[in-house]
Amino acid sequence: MKKFARILSAAAACAVALSFALSAAGCAASGKGTVLHVYNWEDYISTADDEGEYVDLIAAFEEENPGVTVEYSTFGTNENMYNELKISASGYDLVCPSDYMIMKMIAEDMVEPFTDDFIRNSNYTKYASPYIKDLFEQNGWTQYAAAYMWGTMGYVYNPELVDADDLTRWSGIWDEKYANMSTIKDSVRDSYFLGVAYVYEEELYELKEAYDATQKTEKDTADYNAAVTKIMNRTDPDTIEKVKNALIDLKQYLYGFEVDSGKQDMITGKISINFAWSGDAVFSMDDAEPYTDENGKHIDGIYLNYAVPEECSNIWFDGWVMPKGANVELAQKFIDFLSRPENAVANMNYIGYTSAVAGDAVYEEMVDWYDESAEDTPGFDEDGNELVPYDLNYFFGGTGEYDDYVIYVSEESLSRQISAQYPTEEVIARSAVMQHFDNETNAAVNEMWEEIKGLPIPLWAYIVIAVIAALIVIAALSYIYKGKRREARPKQGYRILKKGA
Amino acid sequence: MMKLHFSRKQLCIPYALFLLLFVVVPMLMILFYAFTGEKADGSLSFTFANFAEFFTSKAKLSTLLMSFTIAIISTAICLVIAYPLAYVLARSRWKKKYVLLMIFIMPMWINFVLRITALRELLDLIGLLGTENYLNTIIGMVYDFLPFMILPLYTTLEKLDTSYLEAAADLGGNKFTVFTRVTFPLSMPGVISGITMVFMPSMTNYVVSDTLSNFNITILGKLIDEYFTTYDNWHMGSMISIILLVIIFLTLLATGGFKEDKNNARGANLW
Repeated sequence: MKKFARILSAAAACAVALSFALSAAGCAASGKGTVLHVYNWEDYISTADDEGEYVDLIAAFEEENPGVTVEYSTFGTNENMYNELKISASGYDLVCPSDYMIMKMIAEDMVEPFTDDFIRNSNYTKYASPYIKDLFEQNGWTQYAAAYMWGTMGYVYNPELVDADDLTRWSGIWDEKYANMSTIKDSVRDSYFLGVAYVYEEELYELKEAYDATQKTEKDTADYNAAVTKIMNRTDPDTIEKVKNALIDLKQYLYGFEVDSGKQDMITGKISINFAWSGDAVFSMDDAEPYTDENGKHIDGIYLNYAVPEECSNIWFDGWVMPKGANVELAQKFIDFLSRPENAVANMNYIGYTSAVAGDAVYEEMVDWYDESAEDTPGFDEDGNELVPYDLNYFFGGTGEYDDYVIYVSEESLSRQISAQYPTEEVIARSAVMQHFDNETNAAVNEMWEEIKGLPIPLWAYIVIAVIAALIVIAALSYIYKGKRREARPKQGYRILKKGA
Repeated sequence: MMKLHFSRKQLCIPYALFLLLFVVVPMLMILFYAFTGEKADGSLSFTFANFAEFFTSKAKLSTLLMSFTIAIISTAICLVIAYPLAYVLARSRWKKKYVLLMIFIMPMWINFVLRITALRELLDLIGLLGTENYLNTIIGMVYDFLPFMILPLYTTLEKLDTSYLEAAADLGGNKFTVFTRVTFPLSMPGVISGITMVFMPSMTNYVVSDTLSNFNITILGKLIDEYFTTYDNWHMGSMISIILLVIIFLTLLATGGFKEDKNNARGANLW
């Protein structure tokens, strides 16, 4: 269907070219080489709206590169994207899957490597955060993937109804106290992660305490992170079984699972705890907080908080890869374009997630969003109260002109948007990348998920089934019996006559 | 001027093409996927493994059982609500009764996702959302599919020849007997038509169960979707589709949906 749509739109483009009365050559020129097929998540790039509030990045790219047309299509799940690529392998030049899918695609030799020139000289190399680049280097992805958006996983919660201390552990929602107040993701991988964190809570916590006792040198941090990563990537049958039981147990305390409704349910107050990606957390917090509208009217709201429990978290990211057969030159040009800090700002404005690109434009935007300092007294707010420095050097360091990348925020803001937008180094230390599952593990984990979702059957369902079965048996028996009786009895007419007489 | 002339056979060509493209070919593809599996080296081979796996998997059987239960209860409730209504409407001599019928059918004119989303808010207001997942799902199914039950029942009862009822009354049947021995049996085509129209979607319409149970309940339709979109196993997904097809076929057979009934009231098989 997508292919068909593409042919149609290509045909339409040709028709337009012709109608401008240039020549048939215009149509030929818009063939291979000047059309860039981009395949991305829905709502995952800045697009113009009616009010002109956002930048149309695709249009800007086309304007900058005359003769280039971007064919932009979207997908809803990584698996859909993967299947589409398998069916029409050469259809796309640039796709934006999540971490594990990128790993899978690299493992299956489905992606083109970047050119040396790109790796050395692109805007991505220049402006992408050193933290992200290190992470990619360590895992061997640098050659194949360019990070786009990234973040952690944690709990968004309503501090008025939930005790923040309960959510310093992932196990906080396995609690009668929060029955029907929390949701988790209707996604195998995210929920599996939560389950593993719950199952190995003690082990992870001991690791954390051991790490806290060290000097926290670079090596200590790396070792700690490696140990956490190892635990969080356990997929042996025993772990899967334990996770299954843990999540089935969790179901009784949950309000439910969610795909996209968690944000809205959090904002409207249907739920008070939401297991969320940091980007969605920012969205929920932004939308729930009180504000003053353009008429100066105060709109009530709540300040939601974001917490990353102390044992561990999951570093997730989405990144650009070029499927085999892609137009490498053009695809790299697009990544290069998106990696300019000002375009990253446009994307962050529109999507609300955190770009993997750093640079001064992004930093200045963040200062504008989050820094609470009074105009001429950095570090102090308008009432002269001292603010807390929020150190972002690990992320922005070396990507721009500033010597020190620090944002000053108030104490209560530490658990709000900024913590979801950019985790602290402390959180980073305990955040693991979750590797992709091989086919066998994938099948086992899927089976686990199926059981979590399908079990247990409530007792009344068995009763209903039993009653139905009984009814069917009775109906069948009476049918047989009736048949026999009918044979035996005299003709109807005779009976009526007899009765009448 | 040339005269256009089509034979009857030629008039069927568009539909035959449609049938081939959108019914026959997809069915064959589903069959193909259902009975093949991927070997370690990625090649396909014929297998019954998917079939065997379905009937040995606890999770899949529970899902089947649960969908079946939800569908049966929803259908029963629809029948209990719709029958008296259709009966009263059909028997009533009120000239404007179609207005009343319209009111019951009208929800069908509104997009169903919208209706379900609205119902979700309503259930939240009452306090059922998040606690009574099964009840919510059943309420949703009934709400959504009730018109499909009312319409065929109404049409059958409306077209019912009243002289049968008069004859039955003349022969000494009281109102109850007339209903159980004459009216109800004669309205069976409508009942069956309604049952099929409610039962089938109730087994598969997972938008209702997802939205109203917060993804707590998996029904068969959802399972098929998961196999195609997230588990990435089209073979199993196709197998479940076929099993569902067989179940529906058997249900039709059991309720006599295929029987050619000479007394079939016109319009009963509206669907």
